[in-house]
Amino acid sequence: MRKLLIFISVFCCLTVLGQEKDSTFENANAAYNAGQFENAVMLYKEILENGQHSAELYFNLANSYYRLNQVGESIFYFEKAKQLNLNDQDILVNSAFAQNMAIDAVELLPKSQITQLKEKTIGLLSQEGWAYFTVLLMWLLVLFWGFYLWNKVPLVKRTFFILTIVSGLLLMGSLSIAFIKSSNTAETTYGILFNKKIEVWAEPNSRAEVIFLLHEGTKVQMQDQLQEWQKIRIANGSEGWIKNGKVRSLKGFK
Amino acid sequence: MKKTFITVLMLMTIGQMMAQEVSFEAKVSKRTLGLNERLRVDFIMNKNGDNFTPPNFKGFRVVGGPNQSISNSYVNGKRSFSKTYTYFLIPTQKGALTITQATIDISGEVYKTTPLKITITEAVEVPRDPNSPEYLIDDNLHLVTEISNSRPYLNEAITVVYKLYFRNPLRISDGRAVENPQFADFWSHNINIPRLKVENGTYKGESYNVVVWKKSVLYPQKTGKLTLEPLILSLVIDLPSNRRDFFGNRILQQSSRTITAGRRTINVKTLPDAGKPVNFFGAVGQFDFDALINKNALKATESFEIKLKVTGNGNLKLFNLPELVLPNTLEVFEPEHSENVKTTLSGMQGSIEDNYTVVPRFQGKYPIAPVSFSYFDPKKEKYFTLRSSEQIIDVYGGPVASNSADNSPLVSKQLITNADESFRFIKLNSNLEPIINKQFWNSKLFYILLITPLFLLIVFVLIMQRNLSISNDVEGSRLRLANRLSKKYLGEAKKNLKNKALFYDALERALYNYLKARLKIKTDDFNKAKIAEFLGQRKLEQQDIQSFIALLENCELARYSPTTDVKMQQDFDQALSVISNIDKKL
Repeated sequence: MRKLLIFISVFCCLTVLGQEKDSTFENANAAYNAGQFENAVMLYKEILENGQHSAELYFNLANSYYRLNQVGESIFYFEKAKQLNLNDQDILVNSAFAQNMAIDAVELLPKSQITQLKEKTIGLLSQEGWAYFTVLLMWLLVLFWGFYLWNKVPLVKRTFFILTIVSGLLLMGSLSIAFIKSSNTAETTYGILFNKKIEVWAEPNSRAEVIFLLHEGTKVQMQDQLQEWQKIRIANGSEGWIKNGKVRSLKGFK
Repeated sequence: MKKTFITVLMLMTIGQMMAQEVSFEAKVSKRTLGLNERLRVDFIMNKNGDNFTPPNFKGFRVVGGPNQSISNSYVNGKRSFSKTYTYFLIPTQKGALTITQATIDISGEVYKTTPLKITITEAVEVPRDPNSPEYLIDDNLHLVTEISNSRPYLNEAITVVYKLYFRNPLRISDGRAVENPQFADFWSHNINIPRLKVENGTYKGESYNVVVWKKSVLYPQKTGKLTLEPLILSLVIDLPSNRRDFFGNRILQQSSRTITAGRRTINVKTLPDAGKPVNFFGAVGQFDFDALINKNALKATESFEIKLKVTGNGNLKLFNLPELVLPNTLEVFEPEHSENVKTTLSGMQGSIEDNYTVVPRFQGKYPIAPVSFSYFDPKKEKYFTLRSSEQIIDVYGGPVASNSADNSPLVSKQLITNADESFRFIKLNSNLEPIINKQFWNSKLFYILLITPLFLLIVFVLIMQRNLSISNDVEGSRLRLANRLSKKYLGEAKKNLKNKALFYDALERALYNYLKARLKIKTDDFNKAKIAEFLGQRKLEQQDIQSFIALLENCELARYSPTTDVKMQQDFDQALSVISNIDKKL
């Protein structure tokens, strides 16, 4: 009886906590709608600090920053939202607005059709998605194989044989995509530049020349690091070194 | 001793007497003179001679002479003659100088003068005649260069005013500039003086008439010592002479005079390096800076203007305005530069502006980044940086940019450029989930889940194979089936293998029970013909039916005939095989 009571009280506490977080979210939404974007940002961040997140939370946070005209933060959180939800139209549209606000417009390098196809395929699912898909395919493969072995009716047997082969091929495909994706993300780290304006140098020393200038909100690929110099690459393929740059990495969640 | 002394003295006097007959000597007007004074040297002889050779006058310049003068005089019937060569000299250097010997040939004999030592000192003030016109002009006419600041900073405005001071009794009837100063290394601006005006002023505490001849504003463009070339004026001056006309007025005497203002040097200081802002482009003065935007909200493809404006006091024409940085999705035209600058004696005043015309093509919010403008204030000797406020241009209506700078390799974004795409509202569903850094990919669980089905498959295959081998073993399977059936139906019969009557009774009952159970036949209408018919309906082979019927008949017969144990065992086995056979087919 006592145990039951404790259990119930703990459960209640948990639900209350959960509700509190949801109510924080609602409060933040209300603040946003009332135009108190600073408050909204504060409340959304509170949720983040409590260890919860979602594409929606990042999206709302990014919107609040956009309203506050903080380009870098806004783009950063839109990217975060995109990491959790790749194909949300709202996120894509508002992210384009935020990109408009940034000073640099980096043109994408034209991609070959094969690369585009490859990227589309890899981008269909997230890393976790591919992992789950692989496991699912494995189970299906084994199931179909079992059915094939067990069944004696030739037509059914043939159907299951074909299904086995297909799922086997899919399994190999998804497993290799998962590996490619994982190695891609391991090699490349993206970050958002937070400096209002920064010079990009040809070499990591001040004797070299300045190649170009970047402004807040540009997405850069973070490469090598040498003391206070960071090698970056931007979407149009240009590379260079920045000194003491404020680049916030998009990798992982914290 | 005394005697000898007197003798020598007497001899000397006689020698003197003899020498008086011909004398040739040099005389100077002064033994000590200033550098700016003249020296008169006379070479005097009392007999006429030839071949006068003057000394070389080293250290002097001959400005007059040689003048010759001869005088003959008769006093008391005694003739005295003297001839003099006179030179006027100006010393060219200071110090002790020697006028060396001059020679002359008098009646076949060469006479020489003794060398004279002259000491030349610093130039001495020459007292002047206060009534001479030179003196009058020098005393009452001054051309003065007034420089507002002889130690300015680079690019700090200085003014140079040339003033001509004069006073009674001088009157200036005409004047023109012989040489206008060239202000090399300066940006200069002459302030136009439409008419020269005579005003009252004071010079060194005395009242004078003043004419401001020339006013210039200069901005030094180089650091270090810069020289201002002098202004040279040629003036026609009326000054009263000592003569008077019929009415008693003084007659004016015209005199022309060239007057210079003198060379001036200006020491231009470099701007201090300490605290020099990065975006300092040489603006020196006191300024105000602003970026003005004529619209804050507009439709896409309309235009708006951004004006960068610097107003104030300083070298406005001599620096460039800072550049405007705009988001690249805005179309920006070359700025239009306009100046509204007046140059007065205090420097350039007014405003300069760059006018940018901007056309946004896509909707969205565009921040106009704050532009900073730095200048150096020479009065406070400090750098100041002014920053325009950040402004946001809200562009509504029109397409959303499609070529936005999204470079995610994962998302090939192709936004449809809808005509009236608007900024979407926030999401209202939280869908919150705890942030877990644990990944399923590459985790142990992932590999376990990936491998387990393979093991399951292997296990499954093994079971299958075992089943298959069992079903392939025909004899064994039959035996097992028979055993099972016999256990179920023939158990009682088996128990009574020793007792003939009970055995056959049980066997018969078992066969009927079996059929009843298998074929669901009711007990009452049971006979052999019905059994054969039922079994025939079940598509049993005739042979099996026959053997079943035969077995039943055998049971009935055996009750009434002697049988052996062996026969009973045979019948039991047959029953088993028949049942198992039928069971398999049913």
